[in-house]
Amino acid sequence: MNEKEIEIAEKDYQFKSEQRKKEIDYYKNKMEDIGLKSIDRFVSYCPSPSDYMKNKITYAHMDLERIAEAIADNKPWAVISGLNPSTPLHLGHKAIFDGLLWFQNQGADIFIPITNDESYVVGKSKSLAEARKTAYESIIPSIIAMGFKSEKTKIFVDSDYLDIYNVAMDISNKITLNKALKIFGIHESLEDENPGTMFYRSAVQVAQILLPQYEEFGGPKPTLVPVGIDQHPYITISRNVAEKKEFIPPSEIITKFLLGFDGQGKMSSTRNGSAIFLTDDPNSIDKIVKSAYTGGSPYREYQENHGGIPEICPIWSVRTYHFQKDNNIGEKCSSGKILCGQCKKEAIEEIKDFLNEHQKKLPEARKRIDEFILRTPIKSIFN
Amino acid sequence: MKLETLLSYKGLVNKSPSTDEIRDRANSLTKSLPSEPIKLFYGETYDDYGNPIDSMKYYFFVSMLSKSLNEEGFKTNPVILIADVAACRNVSKSLNNKYIELGEGRASFVDNVKKIYNLNLNIIKMSDYLFTQEFQDKLEKIVSICNKNCLLMRKIEKTVPESKIDIERKKNFAYSFDEIGTIIDLDIKVGPPREDLYDDVARDIAEIQAQKQLKSLFLTPTFPLGKNWSYFFAHEGIEEHGITAYKAGSKQLQVNRIIIGQTDYKKVEELIENSFISKNYSLPNPCLDMCVIAEMAKINLENSENFSNIYDEFYSGDLSERQLKNIALDSLTKYILSKFENE
Repeated sequence: MNEKEIEIAEKDYQFKSEQRKKEIDYYKNKMEDIGLKSIDRFVSYCPSPSDYMKNKITYAHMDLERIAEAIADNKPWAVISGLNPSTPLHLGHKAIFDGLLWFQNQGADIFIPITNDESYVVGKSKSLAEARKTAYESIIPSIIAMGFKSEKTKIFVDSDYLDIYNVAMDISNKITLNKALKIFGIHESLEDENPGTMFYRSAVQVAQILLPQYEEFGGPKPTLVPVGIDQHPYITISRNVAEKKEFIPPSEIITKFLLGFDGQGKMSSTRNGSAIFLTDDPNSIDKIVKSAYTGGSPYREYQENHGGIPEICPIWSVRTYHFQKDNNIGEKCSSGKILCGQCKKEAIEEIKDFLNEHQKKLPEARKRIDEFILRTPIKSIFN
Repeated sequence: MKLETLLSYKGLVNKSPSTDEIRDRANSLTKSLPSEPIKLFYGETYDDYGNPIDSMKYYFFVSMLSKSLNEEGFKTNPVILIADVAACRNVSKSLNNKYIELGEGRASFVDNVKKIYNLNLNIIKMSDYLFTQEFQDKLEKIVSICNKNCLLMRKIEKTVPESKIDIERKKNFAYSFDEIGTIIDLDIKVGPPREDLYDDVARDIAEIQAQKQLKSLFLTPTFPLGKNWSYFFAHEGIEEHGITAYKAGSKQLQVNRIIIGQTDYKKVEELIENSFISKNYSLPNPCLDMCVIAEMAKINLENSENFSNIYDEFYSGDLSERQLKNIALDSLTKYILSKFENE
């Protein structure tokens, strides 16, 4: 390497090191600000913690003690985790559902609201119908194909499960708009909000979180909400309402975001080159992976000597989340034993294998949608 | 048993002065006051749920420490204090007589343990000395020193749980001062780690009085039996400090304790079976604690010199969780429960 190349390599390494520090500080500071606890104690006690927990991808919690007790004592408990169906599921969503599967294996009843109302009111979908179509044609079959048990999984599309709006009404007088605005940090401007977004955020979302505690599902029970760290306000508002309803305040567990291939933060369906969707043609993914941002150096020799920075690398992120769960790949990367070209090549194979396997299961999954759809009417609120 | 062997037994001693420190204290005492024994001490209160097996760990230890030092030619005075006056302070006046009787009961329990296991112990009650002029004079000096020293008074306050601070302040911290007066002249005080707050103040006062300072020796914390992993995960305080060894009803966990003469074999079996057990040595292991207590009982009964290597065998993987539970149940039955069948 000549002097110029060394200078470029060092600048790049320094930049990426700072990026890593920012990434680490972001999660650490958020955890401390919110008052969450580290997952470490749970991992040391739980007889079979999930790989995400062991790798600290799922890294923080609030009130997981209640959930632990329910797991250990075989008592009823629930997990609720929804998503908005503006696009098919991508690998970032898969991480969430992998987590849900682990919880189901520990005994949880899983509630999955598909929030096409949210997609519409926030402007992510052109119509309720469009998001509804994506939900039934793509998202729900993908969820089923991941291996959920129908007897312990309740999926509902908000606009088809009108009872959720009755529940939203039921809880809406337990929170003031002022409080909601404060919790969501909307202090100065309401320009991006409409009556739908406010009703969704402060009532429908809370209704979804508290639904498992209604009489129809066995009454108050420990409920866990796996979320990204940015969704904490929803938990705050739900805990607040739960106390007023004499429900058990929901617990929270935080999983770090899967990084988008474009290196611009979490994997997102709205940015080109960020996500691989579970319905993508496996043969079409080479381009996005090959052109992905990485934690490696622009110079092979430099990376062999200094290693890469896996913590900011989307390839490492995808492989560690989904395919190389012992995080061996991170050690290889940071010690310079594997370079980006080889790592990307292996990642392409892993993703293709997964997509092929997953997509093979979709036709059968489509036939089973009815088994999973929640239709239970919520009559108890009229008692 | 050699002092080194006793103090290095894994799973028993949490924190101890080194063997050299103990011998230095013994030597200097012998040189300055040849007739004076080394004062070894463990003190406990009690409640009305009975006599927990966990106290026996301390009785055994104090006796074994005493015998180890005797073997090296040092005189000892190994004391088990039943703090009856302190126990009465925690209950309403109408229960005073009952708690005095319970104190008698605890003292005779210790005496019984002493006889069964041939222990080297002197059993005393707090009421035997607390109201003597000699002790009251000592107490007066201690209170006077503390009243003139803000730092010490702050430390005295810290000996009281926050929930009881107002009550104790009204009583001029009588409970804390009685404790400090009791322990200030000791050489080695054996207890659970949480007693360090008292020990620390006692050392400070001794330093001001230019007297010898007591050395604290902490045994491993006591954990409830029959609780699964989620309990310890949810109770970080218990993971860190354990529960009070000598109070069967500590944290209202009396059904999770082995209470001598009350807990039958079937219940012990159930408790052991349902106890949390992990290969992670930094986590609570109540079953291992039971093995340790039973082994101490065996050593005293058989007058043997050596401990087994059960701690290392378990954590290195040579013993499975199942095997450890079996050993706990078998050894408890053989060396402890069977000795109290007629209680």
